[in-house]
Parts: sequence; C-alpha cells; structure tokens
Amino acid sequence: MDNIASLLEGFATAFQPEYLLFAFLGVLIGTAVGVLPGIGPAMTVALLLPLTLSLPPTAAIVMFAGIYYGGMYGGSTTSILLNTPGESASVITAIEGNKMAKLGRGAAALATAAIGSFVAGTIATALLTLFAPLIADFAVTLTPADFVALIVVAFITVGALLGSSVSRGLASLGIGLFVGLIGTETTTGQARYTMGMLALSDGISVVLVAVGLFAVGEAFYVAARLRHGPIPIIPVSGSWRTSMSREDWRRSWKPWLRGTVIGFPIGTIPAGGADVATFLSYAAEKKLSKNKKQFGRGAIEGVAGPESANNAAAAGVLVPLLTLGLPTTATAAIILTAFQSYGIQPGPLLFQNQGDLVWALIASLYIGNLLLIVLNLPLVGVWVKLLQIPRPYLYAGIIAFATLGAYAVSFSTLDILILLVVGALGYVMRRFGYPIAPLIVGLILGPMGEQQLRKALQLSQGNMVDLVLHPFAATCYAVLIVLVTVGLWLKRRQSRFERAMEASLAATTSPATAIDRMWDEGERPTDVKTETIRAEQAARAAAAARSGDPGAADGPGGRGDRPG
Amino acid sequence: MTSAEAGGSGRWGGERIGELIFAAGILALGVYAFVGAFLIRTPAGAQVGPRVFPYLVSVILLGAGIALVVDVVRGRLGAKEEGEDIDPNATTDWWTMARLAALLVAVIFLLEPLGWWLSAAVLFGGAAWSLGAKRPWLGFVIGLILGIATQLLFGEVLGLFLPRGLAFDWWYGPGPLFG
Repeated sequence: MDNIASLLEGFATAFQPEYLLFAFLGVLIGTAVGVLPGIGPAMTVALLLPLTLSLPPTAAIVMFAGIYYGGMYGGSTTSILLNTPGESASVITAIEGNKMAKLGRGAAALATAAIGSFVAGTIATALLTLFAPLIADFAVTLTPADFVALIVVAFITVGALLGSSVSRGLASLGIGLFVGLIGTETTTGQARYTMGMLALSDGISVVLVAVGLFAVGEAFYVAARLRHGPIPIIPVSGSWRTSMSREDWRRSWKPWLRGTVIGFPIGTIPAGGADVATFLSYAAEKKLSKNKKQFGRGAIEGVAGPESANNAAAAGVLVPLLTLGLPTTATAAIILTAFQSYGIQPGPLLFQNQGDLVWALIASLYIGNLLLIVLNLPLVGVWVKLLQIPRPYLYAGIIAFATLGAYAVSFSTLDILILLVVGALGYVMRRFGYPIAPLIVGLILGPMGEQQLRKALQLSQGNMVDLVLHPFAATCYAVLIVLVTVGLWLKRRQSRFERAMEASLAATTSPATAIDRMWDEGERPTDVKTETIRAEQAARAAAAARSGDPGAADGPGGRGDRPG
Repeated sequence: MTSAEAGGSGRWGGERIGELIFAAGILALGVYAFVGAFLIRTPAGAQVGPRVFPYLVSVILLGAGIALVVDVVRGRLGAKEEGEDIDPNATTDWWTMARLAALLVAVIFLLEPLGWWLSAAVLFGGAAWSLGAKRPWLGFVIGLILGIATQLLFGEVLGLFLPRGLAFDWWYGPGPLFG
C-alpha cells in the first residue's frame, strides 16, 4: 500500500542518527519536565517550544514528537508517587496508583503504567497511521462552510464541556477569541483593537499566551498558596523486572487494550480530551473486574486502564490536528502553533504538500514510544529524584524558562511585559475556576474560523442558510448536538463522582477516608485494612511456597515471576 | 465547588467580590469588543466585512459575562483550581506574588544591559528566595549556572539571539554551530 511505503520512508528519515538523537533528547527532556510536579503536558510542550524553534523543521518535528509523548507519560509517575494529581486526567491514577505505592507495589504501578502507555501509544499511533491519510483525503473535498461547521463544533465542545460551568468555559473561549482579534485584519490591512500601539499590530503571539497562562500563571498561583514543609514521596523499591508478577501481567493486558479502545476515539473528537477517557476507562474496569473490592485500594486494573486510555487519547488528538488543522485540546493547540512557526500549516493538504515531514513525524512517534519504555523502566529512580526538587527552585526554574521562551519569540523585552500580564490573567482564572484550555483553543481557531467564515459567505453570496445546508456541515451540527448532550451527561457523572469525593474530603479532612466514602457498604477499602491484605498475601505466599508454586503469590510478600 | 457554594451564598467575602469584579471585567471586555467593532472600516462592496467576526466574539463575551455576573450575585462561585503544591487552607500570599512580579519587571530593564545569563541568575535566585528557599545564596548560584548553561546552549550553539550584556558586547564569538 502507498501509505506503508510512505511510512517506511518516514522511518528511513527518522532513523538517521541525527534525528534519532533529537528524538532521544525530546523524549528525555519531555519526560523530565513532565515528571516535575505542577507541570502538565500543555505546560511541558509550551515551555519546551522555544527549544525547538532554532532547529531545522524535520529535527524540530522529530524532537517535538518525543516531547509530546514524554510529557504525556511523565505525569503518571508524579501521580503514583505523590498522590496529588496535577490535572484531571491523572486523578484516577493518583487514587489507585498511590494506593498501590502505599502497599509497597509502587514499582508494579509504575511498570503497568509504562507498559500500558507503550502498548496504547503504539496501537493508537498505528490507528493514526491508518486513519489520518484517509481522513486527509476526505478533508480535501471539504468546503469553507464545512470548516466553519467543524470550528463551531470545536468551539462549542471545548468551551461548553471543559471546566466547571458552561458560562466559565464560554467566557474563557471569548477572551481567547478576543485576543485573536488583536492585530492587523488580514483582508483590509487595518489595525483592530491595538489601542494605537504599533507593537500590537502583529497580534499577540500564541506562544506568549500559552507560556504566560500555563507557566507564569501556575507559578503565581502556587506562589500565592505554596504548601511548605517536606514533600511526601513514597520510596520505590525493587526493579521493574521483578515488580510485575505473572498475576499482574494477567490482570493488566486487557485493561491496556480496553483503555486504548476507549481512549483513541475520544481523543479524535473534541469532547474534553483525555480526562473523560480516563474516567470512562476506570468506570469500565471497575464494572468488568472480578476484584471489585480492590478498586479504591490499589487495583492494578485501575492504573493500567486509565493510563493507556490517556496515552491513546494523546495519539487520537493528532488525527484532527494533522488532517483538519483542528486542535481539540490546549496541548494540541500549542503543537499547532509549533507547526506554524516551522512554516507548516496542518490541514487537509498537509499530507500532500509536506508528506515527507508528516511521515517522519509519525515514524518518530513510534520511535519515541519505544524510547520511552526503554528509558523509563530502568530510570524510575532518576525521575523519583526529580520529584524531590525543593519547590522554591522548581518554580524559580519555571519562571526563568518561561521568560527565556517569551523573549525568544521575537527578542523583544515588551514580550516579557505581556508575559507578566497574561500570567496575572492565568492566576485570576485559576483562582476563580475558569478553564484555561478554551482560551488557547479560541485564540488559535478564532482567526482560522474568521477566514473560513468569510470565504464561505463570499461563496454563498452572503446567504447564511447555505452555511448550515452543506451535507457535511449539517452532519457536523447534528453531531454537535449529540456531543454536547452526551458530554454534559458525562460531565454530570464526573462531577458527581468528584463532588462525592470533595464532600467527604470536607467532612473528614483525610483523603483516605474520603475515598472510602465513595464505595458501597462492604465494598469500602477500609473494610479490608492494608494489614489484612498484607497478611492475606503473606498467607497465600506461604501456601504457595508449601505447594511449590511461587507464581501464585503476588505483592510484596511474594516472589513475582519475570515476564516471559 | 459545593463547599464554596454552601459557604459563599448569602455572605459577601473578599473572594466573592473579587470574582464579581472579574465577571464584570469579562462583561466590560464584551462592551469594548462591541464598540471597537464599529471603529473597523468596512470596504464598499464586501459581502462579509471585517466587522462580522468581532460582533460574534462580543456576543459570546457579553453573554458569558452577564451569565457570570448573575451567577456570582446569586452566590454560585467557581471552584479554585487544585494542584500538587497548593495548600488548600493557606490565605493568598500577596507579598510573594508582588515580589515575583517585581522580578519580572526588573528583568525587562536588566536583560539587555546585564545579558541573559546574569538576568537569569537574578530572576532565578530572586524567585527562589521569594518562594522561601532555605539558602537564598544557593538560588543565585544555581541561577548563574543555569543562566550560563542556557546562554551557551541556546545563544552560542543553537544561534538564538540572547543578549550577552554590555560587558561582552564586543565579543562576537565563533557564531552559531548549528542551524
């Protein structure tokens, strides 16, 4: 097939030693930054964007692929060992993974997360290889009216479904759209909303807004209410090879695959991104598991499923991004900006115009995934050390790199001032519970939407009805209604789940008891104490030792088998 | 957030007033966007002028702004974002934030005369000290090492234009090695 030949060519490019080195660097730096507490994937990508700006396009793209997957991966280590999820996509991992770590099975939790991410990432990248060219071929036939419909879908879903309330999401989207208006109007060349300032006539750089909102805003927010004192990190004992018992493998492989199946399609549609996927995967695992009682106190399925769903969604997000030029998450929006800064415009024509580059990117996604697992399993100890960086230095570093990144956009000190202003906005938005992602998506899609809208209306001689009547556009609007309905329903379920957690948190002030309250009578984690589990495991290990079958034992008391 | 809703309704604390100000700010931005759209000249004969999209944006801002003001007045407040390093019980530490902001402003003026490497040392060291590092001098040392390392990597090797500072302006060096 044609695509396979193209993919092989992509591999030929990506396997050149120079590009392999960039892929390796990307994965290493992406994971290192992603592991740092308080830094989610979006901030990782935004902070590291300036790093790639001075490289030639292919090297930059290859490195960026590594940074993206590395950043997505890094978060799980933080959740498992620190029990404090930085973003909603890792809430579940923090619940189950941290319980596993407390039972002395941290290494197994990290291993199942890593292997699951690898499995899911590889399968999802294969699906991307398969579907993206098909969708791109189809996308070439789309009219401007269809693109308007797609952008409206992205606006409404991202605006309405992210964050705590619809009005907050739309407000964030509106601010982003407004910032996108600032600058020179493309067709008539006149300045809009620049307040007469010449410096604003080029508009405000997306990189600046992203770095300001994610990095500086976060640093201010943390600075305002910094948790002082020692950092509670659970030590990891044992190497990954001995940590996963045969039992662990048996219980993990299905959740890995199910997580992939749930995560990839959710990633491709603009419906709130990876956190919905992890939540759904967790619910599915809990429903299907024979060990329901273990959920909430360290069920390995609860780490394996959501973590693979998270990574599969990360690959899924690239489908609309590469084929339609539509970012559906904040991270994707920043990646889109990165592409644009290398002079590449993702969209229907990308596969035709810059085929070499896209296939090199896809090939390096496979390579990055492989490098990630090779790098992460043995290096867990190093990442754990990174978690111990004292917070004052960590946030000082974030501020310093954000400043470097802002200055590198156009080498003007005015940009540092804009960074500060945007950072203050980011602080206020966090403080009052406004989601950040719609702002970034609005800022990037706004100008694109305006262009397509005007093209569409010119083609239809100003007839608004035509915008809705194109067959594809009409389908989009129909799907939009379904998406919003389903999305709001999912969000209600998610917030009910979170509220239950929060209410019990407020009532008990202890996270452990809070989690207990989410379960039914008799199913509660506290009904079986950690000591009981340990005793059970020890008993089972002893019984197994007597019967001469060490493979039956699992957990800290038993000697786990090596994977086959 | 349920707890905020329960505690916030009825009483007007600083939190609620702050949120009202921000919601009103969004409304004001909507008004500004709407008024500003009138100032955009529309060329004769254009089917869709450059005003249409700004109108749409101001409608979104106005709609969301009104909904938010109503929400806050009725006592429905937003949930503070949570995070790994955030103490949920702490009060806002304005003094630390002011110091961080002042450092960024200082860098705007220091960057070109001192060069990136020294500015980075000031910024990193100052930020670490503001955030409560136990040994403030260590922050400046780390900042200096970080500054010199990034200056060498990005400025000299990768060819990013980072100011070297007045003291080194005479030296043009070997130029970028890459790209």
